Amino acid sequence: MSKDRKRIAVIFGGQSVEHDVSILTGLQFLEALDLDRFEGLPVYVAPDGGWWTGEALLKRSFYPLDADKKKRLKAVRLDVGRARSAGAALLAAKGGLFGPKEDQLPFDLMVPAIHGSNGEDGTLQGLLAFHGVPFAGCRALASSTTMDKDFTKRVLGALGVPVLPGARIERPQSGASLEPKAMERQLAEGLGRLEFPLFVKPLGLGSSIGASVADDMDGLLAALLAVFRIDQAALVEPKVANLREYNVAASRATGVLRLSAIERPKSAADFLNFSEKYLSGGSGGAKLDEAPSEGMLSQNRVLNPEELTPDQSTAIQNHARCVFETFNLAGSVRIDFLSDAESGELWFNEVNTVPGSFACYLWQAAEPPLSFIELTTSLIEEGLRLSAGERAQTDVQTARAVIFDRG
Amino acid sequence: MTAGDPGMSPPKTPFHKLTLGPEATEAPQIIWLHGWGQTHASLLPLAELMEKRATNILFDLPGFGKTERLERGAASPEYAAAVAAELTALPAGRRLIVGHSFGCRVALRLAAGWPELVGGLVLIAPAGLPRRRSVLWRGRAVGLKLSGRMARFADRLLGSRLHDRFAVRFGSADYRNAGPLRESFVKIVNEDLSEVARQISQPVAILVGEADTETPPEISRRYAQLIENAGLVVLPGFGHLDILSRGRHQLEARLSRFLEEHGFGH
Repeated sequence: MSKDRKRIAVIFGGQSVEHDVSILTGLQFLEALDLDRFEGLPVYVAPDGGWWTGEALLKRSFYPLDADKKKRLKAVRLDVGRARSAGAALLAAKGGLFGPKEDQLPFDLMVPAIHGSNGEDGTLQGLLAFHGVPFAGCRALASSTTMDKDFTKRVLGALGVPVLPGARIERPQSGASLEPKAMERQLAEGLGRLEFPLFVKPLGLGSSIGASVADDMDGLLAALLAVFRIDQAALVEPKVANLREYNVAASRATGVLRLSAIERPKSAADFLNFSEKYLSGGSGGAKLDEAPSEGMLSQNRVLNPEELTPDQSTAIQNHARCVFETFNLAGSVRIDFLSDAESGELWFNEVNTVPGSFACYLWQAAEPPLSFIELTTSLIEEGLRLSAGERAQTDVQTARAVIFDRG
Repeated sequence: MTAGDPGMSPPKTPFHKLTLGPEATEAPQIIWLHGWGQTHASLLPLAELMEKRATNILFDLPGFGKTERLERGAASPEYAAAVAAELTALPAGRRLIVGHSFGCRVALRLAAGWPELVGGLVLIAPAGLPRRRSVLWRGRAVGLKLSGRMARFADRLLGSRLHDRFAVRFGSADYRNAGPLRESFVKIVNEDLSEVARQISQPVAILVGEADTETPPEISRRYAQLIENAGLVVLPGFGHLDILSRGRHQLEARLSRFLEEHGFGH
């Protein structure tokens, strides 16, 4: 193994309901690094917001953390406010003879592997961009705009991408309750007329967490309350009959915009919920290190499903390209569609800028296939390239904005 | 060991196997041989990643999963003969054998005894060379072996069940779980494949996790010296079993490279 390997900090976990899924995604990325060129540095964000690093984090069996386990880790924080020329680093606290000291842990690039709020939504990307820390994947603006499912749909709808009608319902101020009259008005505005069943989902989360079907007004209220426990707002849409979902990954990391294989997640139920997506086929717990069956998530999906007509495949690919270009995305993103299996109609559903497993399984099935190691390498190289291009321009002369004479 | 009669008959029913990837005969074949106490499923996450590059045949070795066991006391020569019989029935072509742990013992015997059936070997966490142990460890082992024999002797004399209790207390997990395969297990763990390794002329890749305590990298290093045409990669951060799950992308990269470098491509 070469000595001058770049150190890649992969940040995962996070203050999000998708915390656990993010651990899997982060560890998978670390496991798929090209070890000849890169060295992984796990950075775990605990549910309380604390950042940790240490070898022990690499094992799934180490989670969840407790006070004892934390003794095997180092608490770290991002060194903010450094001069750009000093490069990026984490600071690890350590006790010293003359009071506490901090060790520097320099790194070359950070890979956000946090799903959902406080990570996939542009906040982390903004933090890193502001401090000149090179990072992989979507930039702050693309991450934050696509996190709002309603906004994304409105933009794409205006560009001719088919989207379902939807009503956005905000969480009531604390103490206040849902106003049925006001809500009915919002629903009518967004949906045209109120017709059950409806599909209710959080405005800004993925992994199907908190999503449910409402068959009547009582069901709708219950579904909204469930969403408001985890998000600021809900998106209500008509429930698609004969629902089939199709997902495709897109990336420009290798230089040109490429699309992956298309997948249809398998599900006997009306829609894919969290436990089906991540826990099916097991004893109810996420599968751990020593169970070599972890790769079997692939059994929950059909790759390049036969029922898709060439027209439908082309439509999915064209819409996916449009989404990628419109929001100027980067990294490996997954673009999800809904379809009515009987009518063949297709609608854009949402974008995941940090999809589970970085959608590696879709790339492995692409034509030509891209292995997970090739994917991580291309995402790292793209991140370094993008961040280098974003280096802040500080020459006041160029901007003809000189006020203080520099002699 | 030479090809041909291993002294025991192969199992009456064919191996249980799973085939992944193209059926086309021009695609290279990868034969997957799992470790002791495992089934083909332990290699599935990795084999799935090779689906586009090769026809993958994953066997349940005799006595594991759904394949009938061989005659009592069968050791790795008999396992290799049984696998050879299976391979003869497959379409000919460029063939790579991938073994994990005990599967490597079988793979090595196969490559030495039936070179015409094996184009190359990838040994993941190979077993088969005696481990270098401390004097203290060896002393303890001799003591335990002696006590075991005494327990068995006492059982025979007195009709007691001392040996069973002894096995529960001191036997390895594999030994305790071996059931009707216990005789095979004892023979197999005591085999030394140094001579077999010296006979291998096919290209060989040896991959092992740095944190492997079952078949530590030290064994792989010695194999790399014994085998004429072998390359060794020690992967940091992986153990004996999780190299197959967490480490599968690393293994995939090395396997693909091996296929390309040794002309196993389409």
